[in-house]
Amino acid sequence: MRVKQTLILAPTLVSLFLLQSYFWVPTFEDQVKGDPGRLIRYIETSIGDASILNPTLAADSASAAINGLVFDGLIDRDLDLSFRGRLAESWDIFEEAYLVVDETQRLPDGSAVTADRLVRHLERARAAGNPALRLVEKIEIVPGGSRVEQIEVAAPGGTPSKPHKRKVQVTVHQPPRLKFTQREVDQDFFIKLNRLLGGYADRIDPTRFVEAVEPVVTPEKAAALVPPTEHNPVVLFQLRKGVLFHDGHEFDSRDVQFTYEVITVPENLSPRVPDFEPVKAVKPLGRYTVKIIYKRLFEPGFQSWGMGILPEHLLNRQRLSEEAIRLGRDPNNFSVRDSGFNRAPIGTGPFRFSEWKTDQYIRLTRFEDYWEGAPNLHQYLFRIIPDPLTAELTFYAGTSDAYGAQPHQVERLKDDPRFQSFSRLGLGYSYIGYNMRRPIFQDVRVRRALGMAINIQEIIDYVLYGQAERTTGPYPKQTDFYNPAVKSFPYDPEGALRLLAEAGWTRNADGWLEKDGQPLAFTLITNAGNEIRKAVMVVAQNAWRRLGIKVETLSMEWAVFINERVDKGDFDALILGWAMGLDADLYQIFHSSQTGHFQLNFVGYKNPRSDALMVRIRQEYNHERQVAMARDLHRLIAQDQPYTFLFVRKSVMLLDRKVVRMVRDGDDTPRYLPIVPDKLGGITFHFNQWLKTAQPVLTAN
Amino acid sequence: MLSVLLQIGWKKLWTLFFISVISFGVIRLAPGEPSQIDPLNPRFTPEVLERYRKAFDLDKPLYEQYRLFYWKLFTGELRSFKDSQPVLPKLVERMWNSLPLFIVGTILVWCYAFPLGVASAVRRNSFFDKITTVIVFALISVPGFYLAYLLIIFVVQTFHVDVIGLRTFGREGIGGFLNLMDRTWHVVLPSVLGATAGIAILSRYVRSQMLEVINSDYVRTARAKGLDEDTVLYKHALRNGLLPFVTMIALLIPGLVGGSVIIETIFAWPGIGRLGYEAILSRDYPIVISLNFFAATLTLLGTLLSDLLYMVVDPRIRLEKAE
Repeated sequence: MRVKQTLILAPTLVSLFLLQSYFWVPTFEDQVKGDPGRLIRYIETSIGDASILNPTLAADSASAAINGLVFDGLIDRDLDLSFRGRLAESWDIFEEAYLVVDETQRLPDGSAVTADRLVRHLERARAAGNPALRLVEKIEIVPGGSRVEQIEVAAPGGTPSKPHKRKVQVTVHQPPRLKFTQREVDQDFFIKLNRLLGGYADRIDPTRFVEAVEPVVTPEKAAALVPPTEHNPVVLFQLRKGVLFHDGHEFDSRDVQFTYEVITVPENLSPRVPDFEPVKAVKPLGRYTVKIIYKRLFEPGFQSWGMGILPEHLLNRQRLSEEAIRLGRDPNNFSVRDSGFNRAPIGTGPFRFSEWKTDQYIRLTRFEDYWEGAPNLHQYLFRIIPDPLTAELTFYAGTSDAYGAQPHQVERLKDDPRFQSFSRLGLGYSYIGYNMRRPIFQDVRVRRALGMAINIQEIIDYVLYGQAERTTGPYPKQTDFYNPAVKSFPYDPEGALRLLAEAGWTRNADGWLEKDGQPLAFTLITNAGNEIRKAVMVVAQNAWRRLGIKVETLSMEWAVFINERVDKGDFDALILGWAMGLDADLYQIFHSSQTGHFQLNFVGYKNPRSDALMVRIRQEYNHERQVAMARDLHRLIAQDQPYTFLFVRKSVMLLDRKVVRMVRDGDDTPRYLPIVPDKLGGITFHFNQWLKTAQPVLTAN
Repeated sequence: MLSVLLQIGWKKLWTLFFISVISFGVIRLAPGEPSQIDPLNPRFTPEVLERYRKAFDLDKPLYEQYRLFYWKLFTGELRSFKDSQPVLPKLVERMWNSLPLFIVGTILVWCYAFPLGVASAVRRNSFFDKITTVIVFALISVPGFYLAYLLIIFVVQTFHVDVIGLRTFGREGIGGFLNLMDRTWHVVLPSVLGATAGIAILSRYVRSQMLEVINSDYVRTARAKGLDEDTVLYKHALRNGLLPFVTMIALLIPGLVGGSVIIETIFAWPGIGRLGYEAILSRDYPIVISLNFFAATLTLLGTLLSDLLYMVVDPRIRLEKAE
């Protein structure tokens, strides 16, 4: 029977054909042992693919990993987190400060102010050693002039959230200004100078210098056009000479300027715009010097120069037009974002790009002419495996050298002699935030009591398997800004009850806490999909209920959570986390001016002392002074407890034991060194020295 | 005949229009914005967010967005939010990657489901029938990802070979026959896993269909004629029993752009299911909407084709002009 035979034969044949292919596939042993090239090939697996290989446009961590190897920044962070020169050999930070010459005023000696007289007066004071002018190296006169500008003013119509605007033309009569060049940035310079000049700067009326047809110029607008005083911090980078891009073209100051320009072009949609917004100008001074002038005091802006530098000669207007024409697109409508460069980048970094198969792998090969010497590894492969278990199997089988292991996977593999593990503390922290617009949370004793009622150590031990540490404030624990003197609250439900009683909350007949007949009741919310936050939510609810607080909980989809609740300040208490940077700036998260809708101080924390510190911290260029203020701020915030600071998570990096550092001594003999983590716990600081050895050459640790 | 076809075409065009509106609207009903517009990024000012919205056309009224979207889609101007790459080539590339899984999976489903179904029907209530029923229901009930993990761990630990991705990683250079075998091997596990549920479900259909036919009058007549059992079953019964399945072939077409999210994710397969899933997570509207639209369009084509096929195989069905 033909039909019957077909029914049996077809599946048999198909199965046989499929299964026989097994015999043509190499086993893991064949791949790992039979291939000496494997030792100079480093394979890392990642759950997500990169999106855009251009450091000015990328915002995701996978792209950042690749960009970090293909591009160099001007600076980066050393093992101890201080700044280290890369494409910049050295730098100098000083200040250019401007003061308007107001000829309607009189000097302390009674004579009318002119630019010359003001300079002479100040020079005398400087010669006399007046401390206000201690850092001043030079005082110059910048002549004034007139210019025409457009300003935006409110127009009738529109809503408070979307006000209508119209443009008005004004004439600005810029008066002459004095330019002070200072050795160091001093945020108090004008305060001291003003004292020396008897309140001169306070009396300057900027509206006098702005001429408009209609009376629309407010003092604020005028001050923005003609600021009476202005701090312009300056960074002068000396660039490294002889650094080559992967195509052999030499890197110079023009590339730095160009990279900055790419960010400022609106069509490029660079996510780095806010980082570079405080920059006023980037000026090349010769081939190897770049002068960066800032609009205002903003110390955290400096670290942005760690961003990779693009090759100007490959992305300038002319090259882009050529590319657009080649692709048959409109050259006037073709930005850096559209360029094929973003999928085949060329930088100055230790590895050059060679291949990208979307959602499969990215292959980099070493750059022989790297300015610091070519890396030991010849190839870097970034393999995309979205599933954590398959990634672990690949690692276990030896076909990848590192992967982003999850805590439970680390438990399985960390004692395996074939692997080495590195524990690292994260930069972000988790917290419970209290909406301080709600009357019940306005009393600091209530917020403290809520924190004391939760056994955070228990959460760390049982929810996070010990892979976390307690934290007491808003800074990453690895940075100098974290104040180690601030102690965390003890777990003390009794003490919490006493605090609540002090605040007027006492137990009623049913055991619930109440004050003036009102029960202590609120809702704790978080986003769905995060199992740890969910567990914290349950633990907190349980702890609080035991005190007699009526707590409801709710978890909701991320977008709803953010758009409907967090952004609108419509919540009682929430569980969230912040991923922190390494700078000391907390303005957006805790300053009282940032409590509006869609702003990040959504808990509504307001403390004038903290406000003042936050403003001073971001303006301070001296590290020691900044650290002192940041620690004060940490203490203040910990006292006020707008959040219950919960924990910082630890992560463990697993790496094949055969990966070591290899350096060559003077006589070229190789010497093997262990991999050392930096202060953040990152292990790739010496990545260019990494190599795989056929046998482990170093014992554990 | 032609006018009837035209009428059908006209109706389908209308359906297509509604599909385009729904594909466009459905993702917009979900809360959230493209992941590039990150309101919780402390560095982002409202101006930056506004700039993104403008570049993504999200600042325009919905009908304008709809018009712009499909205009850009059909002129090839449409680009993914994630990496600014044109959407169409991206979809085609991913479809191409998913194709082997789809084809091998389908072959497996059809190759196994029919013999299994027929055999259980013929030996109804026998031990064989019962055991296949149990296995089939087990396969339907066990979650695909769980089975996948078990299978991967088993194969990797027992045979020490790579099973993840399109081909053995690091062997890109090999050519010809070896490459073909390597790729075949990598198709085996994911397509087997993708096929299990299909085999289980389809074989049940086949079984019940066969049972129905076996109990019908003409089969009894055939038996009464004195034909041997095999001829009765495989010639007379099977042919008629298979009729409804012919049309199912056409309904497979939408599977081309469906892909399997779970299998592709577990096996690191750069297919279209994964693309769609990741696009939904990051609210990459161009990818999600295009994918929805094409899937719906192909379904439409599939149903049309299946209607036509039915006409071919079953002469009793004819097109008639609606009043």
